[in-house]
Parts: sequence; C-alpha cells; structure tokens
Amino acid sequence: MEADMDMPDPEELEWMESHGLLPEEEEEYAYLDEPDEEGFLAAGGGADQSRVSRQETTPAPTKPADEVSEGNLKRPPSPPPPEQEEERSKRRNVDREDPGDEDWLRYSPPPVVDIVAEKTISRFASEIRGECIPVTGPNGERVYAKVATGGLDGGGIGGTRQRTHISKPNFDYKESFHSLTSRAEQEALAKALQESTETQNFDSCPVTPLVTEQLWVEKYSPNSFTELLSDEHTNREVLLWLKQWDSCVFGSHIRATSNDVLSALRRHSSAIQKNSSNRNFFSKSKGSQDNMLQNAHGSSSEDMTSSFNKRSLADNAPEQKVLLLCGPPGLGKTTLAHVAAKHCGYHVVEINASDDRSASSIEPKILDVIQMNSIMSDSKPKCLVIDEIDGALGDGKGAVEVILKMINAEKNNSSNSSASTEDTQGRKSSKKGHKIPKLMRPVICICNDLYAPALRQLRQVAKVHMFVQPTISRVVNRLKYICKTEGFKTSPIALSALAEYTECDIRSCLNTLQFLNKKREALNISGFDSQVIGRKDMSKSILDVWKQVLQKKKLKRIEKADGNFSRGKDIDSLFSLISNRGDYDVTMDGIHENFLKLSYHDPMLQKTVKCLDILGVSDSLMQYVYRTQQMSLHVYQPPVAITISQLVAQVEKPNIEWPKALQRCRTMLLEKKDKLKTWQNQMSPLISRHLSVESFVEDISSPFLHIISPSSLRPVALNLLSEREKDELVQLVDTMVSYSITYRNTKLEPQERISGSMVSPDVPSLSLDPPITDIINFKGYQSEHTGLSLAMKQVLVHEVEKQKIIKDSAGKSLNQANEGGNRNDVSTSEKTSALVSTKGISKSNPTTFKMQSSASSSMSGKDPVPAKKHSNHGMNFFDRFRKERPADAKTRSDAGQQAATILRDSRPLIFKYNEGFTNAVKRPVKIRDLLL
Amino acid sequence: MLWVDKYRPKTLDKVTVHDQVAQNLKKLVAEQDCPHLLFYGPSGSGKKTLIMALIKQMFGAGAEKVKMENKTWKIDTGSRTIEIELAMLSSTHHVEMNPSDAGFQDRYVVQEVIKEMAKNRPIDAKGKRAFKVLVLNEVDKLSREAQHSLRRTMEKYSASCRLILCCNSSSKVTEAVRSRCLNVRVNAPSEDQIVQVLEFIGKKENLNLPFGFAARIAAQSNRNLRRAILFFETCKVQQYPFTSNQVAPPLDWEQYVAEIAADIMKEQSPKRLYAVRQKLYELLVNCIPPESILKKLLAELLKKLDSDLKHEICHWAAHYEHKMRLGSKAIFHIEAFVAKFMSIYKEFLVSTFG
Repeated sequence: MEADMDMPDPEELEWMESHGLLPEEEEEYAYLDEPDEEGFLAAGGGADQSRVSRQETTPAPTKPADEVSEGNLKRPPSPPPPEQEEERSKRRNVDREDPGDEDWLRYSPPPVVDIVAEKTISRFASEIRGECIPVTGPNGERVYAKVATGGLDGGGIGGTRQRTHISKPNFDYKESFHSLTSRAEQEALAKALQESTETQNFDSCPVTPLVTEQLWVEKYSPNSFTELLSDEHTNREVLLWLKQWDSCVFGSHIRATSNDVLSALRRHSSAIQKNSSNRNFFSKSKGSQDNMLQNAHGSSSEDMTSSFNKRSLADNAPEQKVLLLCGPPGLGKTTLAHVAAKHCGYHVVEINASDDRSASSIEPKILDVIQMNSIMSDSKPKCLVIDEIDGALGDGKGAVEVILKMINAEKNNSSNSSASTEDTQGRKSSKKGHKIPKLMRPVICICNDLYAPALRQLRQVAKVHMFVQPTISRVVNRLKYICKTEGFKTSPIALSALAEYTECDIRSCLNTLQFLNKKREALNISGFDSQVIGRKDMSKSILDVWKQVLQKKKLKRIEKADGNFSRGKDIDSLFSLISNRGDYDVTMDGIHENFLKLSYHDPMLQKTVKCLDILGVSDSLMQYVYRTQQMSLHVYQPPVAITISQLVAQVEKPNIEWPKALQRCRTMLLEKKDKLKTWQNQMSPLISRHLSVESFVEDISSPFLHIISPSSLRPVALNLLSEREKDELVQLVDTMVSYSITYRNTKLEPQERISGSMVSPDVPSLSLDPPITDIINFKGYQSEHTGLSLAMKQVLVHEVEKQKIIKDSAGKSLNQANEGGNRNDVSTSEKTSALVSTKGISKSNPTTFKMQSSASSSMSGKDPVPAKKHSNHGMNFFDRFRKERPADAKTRSDAGQQAATILRDSRPLIFKYNEGFTNAVKRPVKIRDLLL
Repeated sequence: MLWVDKYRPKTLDKVTVHDQVAQNLKKLVAEQDCPHLLFYGPSGSGKKTLIMALIKQMFGAGAEKVKMENKTWKIDTGSRTIEIELAMLSSTHHVEMNPSDAGFQDRYVVQEVIKEMAKNRPIDAKGKRAFKVLVLNEVDKLSREAQHSLRRTMEKYSASCRLILCCNSSSKVTEAVRSRCLNVRVNAPSEDQIVQVLEFIGKKENLNLPFGFAARIAAQSNRNLRRAILFFETCKVQQYPFTSNQVAPPLDWEQYVAEIAADIMKEQSPKRLYAVRQKLYELLVNCIPPESILKKLLAELLKKLDSDLKHEICHWAAHYEHKMRLGSKAIFHIEAFVAKFMSIYKEFLVSTFG
C-alpha cells in the first residue's frame, strides 16, 4: 500500500495546477446549457484524441461512461500499480452498484475544464483585451488566455464555443495535450453523468419526492479537489501542506522530485524545471497505461535509494505539524479538509464538537489516529480532522492540549535525542520509552474564530489559513448549476441577492433553496427578511464594528423614500452587531480613538461635546458594572455607540486605527510608576518616607533637576574651586547620594553630544541614572533644563561613588570597631592616611578632607592645604580617575573589603615620620583607608 | 540633602507651621494612650512631617532607626493564593506602608497583612508604650471594600495597635473609618507662614534675602510648603546673590498645561481637539494625576477668559471632574471638558464678534 500511496506526486500536482487555475471556467461550463453538444462535437472532429472518446461516451448512457470514468478519475489522484488498480476498480465498481440509483443521484459530475480562450493566447497579459488568466504548461512556460464570459453571451454560445474549440488545436504547446485529453474525457463523462442524473431527477422527483431526497448540501458537496468552491489559493496551500507529509507518512516516497515540483509550483515557471518535466511529458504522452508502468517501475527502482534515505526522510514532516483552518461558517472548511485529505490518499478521521472532547477521552483517540500504522496493507493512513476546535472552552481544550503536548514533545526530542533519527520502526519501539508520542500524521483543525482563547497556543505552532469569502459570482454559478439540476427555477439576480444576504454561506443558500423548492415557492428578492433564511448570529471582528459605527451606509434611492424605516433598521443592525461583539471596553476605545478623525460638520463642536459626554457615560457605566458586577447593565452600551454613529458617521470610508493610545498610556504609566517606586526604594528611608510618586512628579521633579545641575559649578579640578564652590559641590554630592541618583554611561544621544561638544564621539555620554529627565520630557515641549557639562558629570559620578563607599564602609568599620573594640586602630589608620599621601587627600571628598586636615593640622601644627596644592599641581585632571577606578572597584566588593580590614587589623602599622624626607615605610595602602 | 529634608522639623517642639496642631498632639501623647489618628490635608502641608515627629515623641529616638524592606505576602483566598509585594518602612515600634500600592488587591492587604501586624503585640511591652503604630499612607486611594475591612480591624486590635492614617482628602475615607479616628486637619500653610519658613532657612544657610523675595516664592508655590522650599533652593542654585526680581523656573508639567491652554484658546475644532488629546496623553503617561491636570488647565484657561464665562466654565470643570472620578478612563473626561470649553468659547466668540 505504501507503493500505492507514494504515487500521486509530480504529475498530479501539475495536473492539479493546470486544473486549479481555471476554476471559474469549470463552473461556468458546468451549468451552461447543453444544446451546443452537436456543434461541439463537430468542432472537435479534429485530430484530438478526446473527440474520439467523447464520441464513444456520449451516446452510451451509463455503463461505458462508468468505465471511462474509472480510468479518468483514477489517473489524477494516484496511478497505482496495475494489479492493485484492478482490484480497486473492482471494489469501486461494487461500491457503485450497491447503492444503485441512489448513488447516481448523489454523484455530481466532475467539473469540466475548458479553456475558453476566444482567440488570443499570448505570452503577455497586456496583449489580451479584457479578462485573462495565466496558464502554465508542464514545462513551466506560461501563457495568458483570454477569458470568455460564458454566462453572458446566451444565444451566441454555439458560435463562440466552436471557435474556442477550434482554437484549441492551435494551442501551440503540445505538452498540454495530455492534460487536455484527460479533460476532454472528463467533459464527456460529465455530460453523460449529467444527462443520466437529469433524466433520473425528472423521473424520480415526482414519484417519491419525500422519502429519498437528500439535503442538497450533502448531495452537491464537492467530491474532488477541483470542485471546491473555496478560494483557490487556500485550497492549494492546504494540499501543499498535506503533500509535505508524504515523506513522513508514506515513507518510501521519492523526495527529490517532489521537492522539485513543489518549488516549480511556487515559482510557476522556471527554466530549471524544464528537463525533468520534459521527461514527465514523454512518459505522459505514452498514455495512462504506460504512465502507470513507468511510475511503478520508477518507484521500484527508487526503492533502493529511498531505503537509504529513509532515516532522514522519516523526519521530513512539515515544520508546522498542525493546520488550522479558520473562517466564518458555511464557506466549506470542513469540506476542503475532507476532500484534500482524501485526495492525498488519507483516511479521514473526524472529531467534532459532538464527540466527547475531554482530554482524557480524546487522547487515546488521537493517539490511535496519529501513531497507528494499520496492519492491513491496503488501508490508508489516517488524517485527523478536528472540527469546531474553538467551540467548547472547558472540555474542548482537551484536544488542543493533547496536540500541543505532542508537538512540544517532538521539539524536545528532536533537539536532544538521537532516537529521533531512527526509522519509523525504531521509533515505534522507542515511543514506549518516551511518555509522549510524536505527531506522525497530519492534523487539520477547523475553527470559526481564530482568536478564541482556547486556540492561543495552537495558533503559534500551527500553520494558519484564513478562509475568505468566495466571490459572489462563484457561489451564484454553483447555485445556478444546482438549481438547474434540481429543476428549480430562479433568476440569477435572486440568487446573487441570496448569496449576498447569507454572506456567501453556501450551506445556508442551499438549505434555503431546497426549502423553497419543497414549498414550491419562488425565490423573490424583496422578501428575504420575511422568508425563512436564517440569519447567522455572527460576531464580526472589532474592526468591522468600528467601521460600521463610523461609516454611514449609502442610502439607496428607494430607501431614501422611507428614510425613517431604513434608519430604524440601521439602528437594529448596529445594535445586534455591537452587542454580538460584546467587548465594549475596546469598542469604546476604538470609537474614541477614531471619531475625531472623521470629517463631520460641526462648527460649534456641539456634536463633539455630545460624543465625548456619552463616551463619559459609557465609561462611568463600565466602571459601575465592574464594581458592582451587574453585567446586565451592559445592554446600555450599544446605544452609546449608536448615538455616536448617528451623530458623526460619514459616508466615506473611515481610516480606522486600532486604539493603541489608551493602552500605551496605561502600560507606560505603570512602567514609569514602577520605575519611580524602585527608585524610591533605593533612597535612604529617611527621605523616601516623605515622598510619593505623585508628589515627586508634581512638585519635586522640576526644581530637583534644576538643583542637581547648578550652573555655577565650573568643571575644573577640585583644588581650583573656591571654598564656596567646594561647599556647593559637597552639598550637591550629598543630595545626589541621599536621593541615590548618579550619572551613568549611556549610548550617545544627540542632545548629550551637544552638551559635551568638545568630547570626541567615542567617549560615552552620561545621563542621570534613574532617568528622571524622562518625567518632564513631554512631546513637543522644550524644557529649560540645562544639563551639566560632561566633565562636571564625570566629577560628580566619581564623587558620588566615593561618597557611597565612605558611607558603606563607615557603617561597616563602625560595626567592626564596636566588635573588636579597637577604635584606636581606626583612628591611627585615619591619621596615617592623612599623612601618607597628600595626593590621596586632595582626591577625597572635601568634607572628609576637612576633617582629616583638621586632624592632621592639630597633630602636626602645619597647614596642609598649600602643601597639597603644591604636590597636586602637575597632575592631569583625568589621570586621577584612571588611577582610582580599579581601586574603587576593588573596595566596592564586600568580601575584599572585609579581608582587607582583617589584614590591616592584624598588622598594626608603625612608622616614623621625618619631615622633608620620604623614607617612610612603604606599604600597599587601600584607597578605603585613605578615605577614612 | 535637599533643604526640604534638611530643615524638616524632627520633633513636635520644632514644628513651626502647624505649631498649634503640634502642641495638641504633644499633649495627646503625653498621656499613656492615644486614639487612632487620621491626618488629612493637601499635599505639601506637612502631614507626614507631623506624623514622624509624633512618632518620635511617642517612642523616642528609637523610632528614627528605620529600615526599608520589600515583603512578599502570600495570601490564601480560598480558591487561590495571591502574592502581594509591599514596600514597608519599619522601626521597632512602628510600620509604615502604602496599602493602595496593591491596587485592586488592597482589600487583602488590609484584611490579612494589617491584621497580621496588628495582632502581634510588641514583645518588649515593658516599655512605656504597649502598642505599636501602623502608619497607612494614601488611605483615600483605598477601595471601598478595603476601607470596610479596615474598620473592623481598627476596633478589634485597638489594644495592641494604633493606626495613623494619612490622606489628602477625608471625603474619600468612609464615614465609618473617620468616626473611629481622631481627625487632624493639616491645612495648607498660609503664605505668611511659608515666608517665615523660607526666612528661617535663609538665616540658617547664611543667605541674604532681598525684600519681597520670599513672598514672591511663597505666592508662586501655591501654598505648598514643599514646593516653596524647593523653589527657594532652585533659585539659590541658579543664581545666588538673589536679584530683586528673581523668580523660580516654573514646573515643567504646569508649563506644558499652559501650552495646551494656549492651543485651546487659539483654535476650536475637532482637529485641534485631537492634537490636544495627544498632549494630554503625554501628561498622563508621565504620572501626572488627571485631577491636577484638569485643575491646572482650568486655572490656565480662566486666566485668559472673559469674566462672563468664568462661572460657566468652572461649573463644567467640576462636572467633568466628578464624572472622571466615577469612571476609569480619565482621558475621556478631560477631553470632554476641553470640547465643552471649546464649544462654549466658540459660541461666545461668534456671538460677540460675529
């Protein structure tokens, strides 16, 4: 069976593409009237092989058609080895015959592809007038063909038809011959089938209409990939994704070619592809029989290599293991999943909301599907389809959790274990060792609301496809076709109105039509509201809600006449729209954010005031509900939005933005508050206890910034400062320390560079550490604050750092002194520090310096200041930092400090001081000692 | 250290501005016991200073040895456990905290944390005070539920614990809590008092104040003592020998509000309103309380307004501030006020100038 399954690759995808590109034509043709049969046949009397088959098939009512269909239908999905094929076809035949006529009823004709190129086929789209579609040949060449709008040219059909068919042989690309053949065959089959169904319909309907009738939805559900109504791109993507599983699921698959084809498909055309596709072409042209043989042969020859590759191939599952299809109901998501999975040779296992979906019960089910390779050789691998996965929150989550667990397990496994590189068999055995099995089969999840909270995690790992509404014309075409086959008379206008009303929900359309058919009523446009069509209780996306609120509907002329009525209807629909959405908080934010951008006429701003007033009401209401939990009061929220809508809505399309401002404001506010709080915690408690965030922001920040950047301070060496300036500096440093702010290196900012203009760009600038300046930094506001110069900041950084160390060690040495009781020692070291190096003293903070100097002067009786100045004279301003930094760093670390103190205490220092000489004892001295 | 901190009176005796209140408090704690206290008054009037001085009066210098700590409390609410982190400032005799920091979980803080602390009797009861003091800041920001929980705590543990509550507006504190406390109103210092304080500081700092300088700063400070002292220091830093007409640089956010007011006066249209909204957001983001914005905005607008309109505008400002407090999205209401003002003003302009 594996051999069976790996077949459908390159040819098939190509086939699919060539078909898939022409969906519109398919349908158009499908419902087109048959009368041109003769002309068609006559026209097709050329050398085309298809004609032959057609002539064969058309007269023959059922049986031959059946045979042909077997051959035809089989080919595209998977040309299996002949023996199996035979078996299968037998099986199918049996299947066919069993349900008898009933089955024929259900069988809807496969689509017939017809390139309705009027007369122009060109390499350039610009050469074709009107609509055109690209057609890609198997060798990658691409042409554009004009689209004949079949539905419109009623009487002239015969003529145009003829011409188109004559033009077909003119089609230069013989490569497409094969596909054309098959198409033609299918057409013939379709004709035959259609005829048979029609006749049967006409026969059976009057006789037993009640008993046997199926739901149309089921009856006409697409059976093959090309029949799908949903968006072509989505279909293709889904199929591609499923195909990526092939190597993993069907093991022995020839990966290389498929990769080529995939890439070719993506590129649509490429020269690289030519060779291989040419080869394909040759094989194809030999006819289907040959093709099968060749394929069989190819696969058997490839078996050798594939067995070599198997190990790596087994891991080749697509990156995203789960496919998530989402979209509004009735667009055919479930159908697509089923059809695509079948198409790729899977057996579909569906789990939907009707099943028990609690985690415990669903896990074995999923495991069954996902890991089991069936024992019986001919059964297909399974593909899991989880429908309505967003449905139930509590229990439904089970499925999501199980799948997530598996995906995660896989990730972990592949990242660390070598076991993952073993082949499938090996893995199976190792699986028992691991608790969580891997995901080995494709899983398709289907949901309506992509943003349902239950799906949050799944969304991140899954490949997501949004379903978009098919075009109305497409839906209408299909509806027309169905109506025709059912013999239900409708007008195209009514059908399109219906499609529009149901928002292209095909299910709803069909149900309505069937219902009306039963009642033998005609579909009339005016009465949709009164008629039976169920209106979906759908919640729209929030952006749609805002758009509806802020955009006035264009009044049609008829509606204008009864303006009051339509207005009432508008209000009703708005109300249901908003209340269905529910999320009033965000809704109001969005309205608030966007309504001012509308260009409504409001010279005296009365409307604006009203809008804001009512938004205020909504806010108070929200708060009240929040506090008292009286959720029922929320019903009064939609009227708020409706009022605003009535006041300001404009006809032109509003440019709606997501309301970020309020959210951003909230988060930033919290962030800033947090920053201020942490800063407050860093301050000494004696100061911080008197502060609060509000008082800081309101009262303190501005003056504070002025105070810590005094303009009077000159960026010169400390010893050049006057007494008064020194005092100021001391006070400034003290303030900065007690408020625990400092300057810190930051990335160069333009402003900073201006302030430190003389600094070369590689020197980093300094800014306040808790960034207080941000607080007063309003957009578009020029504050008067002038920062200090860079040199000054550097001095301050240094001083603050030192002051902190002094404070720390003061506390510490005090403790130590208390413990050891040798205060003497400390004082002696103080004295020594005062005496050992005059350099050190001048570096230290003036306050301490004063104290020290007084101490030393009292001891030596000599004024130390001039001497210090003397010794310090030649020194570079920046030199001092360089020397001191490492020392600072060292002393900062507590452990080092402790050790140093112990060391010092263990060796009390004794030395003799001779004035004028420097034969004092030399010993490494810590900066900390000097500071004391 | 800033002068604000440097010249903060440490004991009740040294309090200059509210000396009468201070004396009363002193008498109050001279006895062995004291009731729960509720200090209320505008910011910058000296509530916390008084409280600190009072605590020092009660416990002596030991109360000044405080340490800051962030404690995490795990509270079991039955269905789940909540973790609340609170910054606390504590000495051996008292604990200060700001329960409203916990946001909407403040109820649990009151119910669990405060109860926990109130329950524990101080161990060294041999001292003269057999109770500890809990200082709760910003009580007016507590939710209603939290305040309700508070009142039972106050009664039940009054034997071992005294609460000192501190807030800006007593009207936001529920009746029940208020009636359990001795209310101490700390009003904003008059300008004369501020001038006195400034002169006192000037003398201590050996500064030479020109005549009228202190009064000017006091006027600029809006009767906020903290602001006044900060302004004073700013002036000193910027230019010491004070010039006769020197003023302190204005507060940045107030300046910004003034800009907004000018914007509003210049043009009244939805488009301008949108621009104003962006600026209001700027202010709000930078932690400026919306009430202050509205108040300042009103003041700025009134400056430039025709006297006929003043009454009406004030009315609407009050109206929207009331609504703002009811709601949660301040921007809606401030903006509504701006729109209302624009509307009225434009109407006025059209009717007078045609």
